[in-house]
Amino acid sequence: MSKFQCKVDRQGPKLTLQLGGIIDEDADFAPLAINGAHEVKIDLDAIKSINSCGIREWIKWIGANSSAKVIYAKCPKVIVDQMNMVDGFLPAFAQVESFYVPYYNEDSGAEKNILFRYGVEFKEGQVQPPSEVKDETGNTMEMDIIESKYFKFIKSKV
Amino acid sequence: MSLSKLSIRYKILLILTVMPAVALLVYLAIALKVFKDDKVAYVFDTTSQMSSSIAGQLKTRLDNIVKLTQPILQDLGQFQDFSRLSRAFLQFDSSLQAMAIMVWDEKTSSYKVGPVLEKEAYGFEKFWMLWKGQWNPNLVQLFMNETVVTNPFLDDRFTLIQKIERPEGRPYLVVLLFQLSDLAQQFQTKSAQNFYLIQKSGKILLGPENSLGQNLKDTLPVRFLDLNKQASGSGVETIKDNQGANRLVSYASVGWGDLYVISTVTEINALSAVEILKRKSLLFLVVLISATTILSLFASSTLTHALTKLFEATGEVTKGHFDVQVVVESNDEVGALAQNFNKMAAEVSRLMLQTAEKARMESELQTARMVQETLFPAPRADFETIEIAGFYEPASEVGGDWWSYTRIDDHVYLWIGDATGHGAGAALITSAAKSAAGLIESLGFSPGQALQELNKSIFDVSRGKVMMTFFLGKLNIKTYELVYCNASHEAPFLFRKKEGPYKKKDIELLDQNNNPRLGQSRDSQYQETKIQLEKGDLVFFYTDGVPDIRNPQNEAWGEREFIKGLLASLNTSTQSYKALSHFCESFQVYRQGTTLADDLTFFIVKNKEESNQEVSANEQVSM
Repeated sequence: MSKFQCKVDRQGPKLTLQLGGIIDEDADFAPLAINGAHEVKIDLDAIKSINSCGIREWIKWIGANSSAKVIYAKCPKVIVDQMNMVDGFLPAFAQVESFYVPYYNEDSGAEKNILFRYGVEFKEGQVQPPSEVKDETGNTMEMDIIESKYFKFIKSKV
Repeated sequence: MSLSKLSIRYKILLILTVMPAVALLVYLAIALKVFKDDKVAYVFDTTSQMSSSIAGQLKTRLDNIVKLTQPILQDLGQFQDFSRLSRAFLQFDSSLQAMAIMVWDEKTSSYKVGPVLEKEAYGFEKFWMLWKGQWNPNLVQLFMNETVVTNPFLDDRFTLIQKIERPEGRPYLVVLLFQLSDLAQQFQTKSAQNFYLIQKSGKILLGPENSLGQNLKDTLPVRFLDLNKQASGSGVETIKDNQGANRLVSYASVGWGDLYVISTVTEINALSAVEILKRKSLLFLVVLISATTILSLFASSTLTHALTKLFEATGEVTKGHFDVQVVVESNDEVGALAQNFNKMAAEVSRLMLQTAEKARMESELQTARMVQETLFPAPRADFETIEIAGFYEPASEVGGDWWSYTRIDDHVYLWIGDATGHGAGAALITSAAKSAAGLIESLGFSPGQALQELNKSIFDVSRGKVMMTFFLGKLNIKTYELVYCNASHEAPFLFRKKEGPYKKKDIELLDQNNNPRLGQSRDSQYQETKIQLEKGDLVFFYTDGVPDIRNPQNEAWGEREFIKGLLASLNTSTQSYKALSHFCESFQVYRQGTTLADDLTFFIVKNKEESNQEVSANEQVSM
């Protein structure tokens, strides 16, 4: 089990947080004060999982922000699921810059995560997935999600 | 466990006493043997020197006497009688008393006294008369050995007889009569060491009182006298006397006649120092062993006292008295052992208390589980137009998931919720939620109103520390109108009635609204959505524990397999409880008995295509 980790990079009014590991009741967000920054980019690429206690801590932490523009980047599926399900996990002042979409080939069992980027594969209310995703052997892969459920946060953020 | 008969104290005592005692005894035996051998050698050396010394003295005296007689004999040869000069020579030696020439008498065919030279008033004639009886044996010895030395009356008066050959006729015999009083005294002196002057025949010429004239061989069978050849000049022997006592014998030849000086001493006397040493050594050994025993008792008492206390303490522990402590009085290994024992006993005591506490808590949790189970409805129900089948399994004794259904007139409230975390804390919140839900249902609230009120209750109870996701649906079982409100819970899957098997694309989500979790904020508002269901439609409600089911490799079942398993189950049977049973089998196969990571709850609500028979609410779902 990997503990919650965070790497902070502050460049003037811009703050970049690289989060990793597991977000649970032991995750300490106290040192990650985002107030005072104009823009906060949260890189979630290395997050492995999040449980209900972690969600509670996350909402408490992110809800404490009052002024900064918050950007979620490289959101893995575990984060996207929470954005879709839990009210307040993706607050109104936050935007998603990019997120991963799992793909799967039933025959080969190959799995792949494709990064959907704002303005390229999605934008407000719309999703424009790649026309074709193939695995290492050239097999066409399908989205390994319930699309209406997974892309719900895009449609709800207008 | 009881102590053995030979306790460690006595073992230590034995080691500390027996070992040095044995070592000392061995050392003593070796030392005594060496000392004895050395002492015997010393005694032999000393007595041999003394024997040689006395023999030397006697030889010197005899040599001097014989030398003194040489000019007398020359004078006699010249004048056929002893002259005045000879008489003067006789005075030179105090020990020489007389000198007589024995001549052969043809008439009597025996020797008779010839010329006599004697000191005044000595009385050789008288001496001769007494001695004459022993004369013949002396002659035999004389002719064999040329010189005969003897003391015929076993006193200090000695005779030395030499033969002087003549050209014709039998040889003259020169008889020297002399007194060796001082020498004789040496033999008579009483001491541990006895000196004898003997002839080769064993006859004692000089020696201690009562031994004169006896044969030494009768009391002391010395071997050197029995040798055929001439015995060597000196030597030593260890002989057992006729009384069985060992005697150390040393001898030295005088060099005149067949005389020997013998020194004897009993081994007991010779080795009296050894005996003294032995006694003193044994006394020292006894003292040493006694001191060692006392010290060993003290040392072993100190050691075994601590060990005994430890033993008694372990006995108390075996009786269940884990609060026992041993007083540490030393800083050695035993002290460290006692300290470790105290720590161990304290730790065991703590663990016992902890175990007891854990047992108590487990017992309470079991009770709580039993209580919590009453919060859940029967897993299967049939309400004329709808059927319900559900499953619940907590990750621990009690869980944070809750599901329920309640029919109020023509409506059935469908509840499913998931508290933050799982375990006792979450279970308490679900209990509170259940209590509030019962009241809310009785008031006929819509789902939005219901969750709004429930949110207040949960917030007041948990103060924001525990929250619940919730989905509440209110289904009209006559019209199939469903009003629902979602408080950040997993959106249930709606499967519309269709011909053929269900596919992933057939899943509709009841996600037209999403509201804050219950307990997040007291003033949260909850929207609700109304949809119309039809006969044959079914809704699958679940918590996030379903895709989080783990296999023994701790790999989550995942959404893909969950959906596949669900679709397969729904396609297996149109009856909700059979489909649910099939679904249970599919994840149990994956799980293989692995402990749940999160509470597991799901249920199916299916609108019947036709109203039909009631199904007993008590009938259990086959899992």
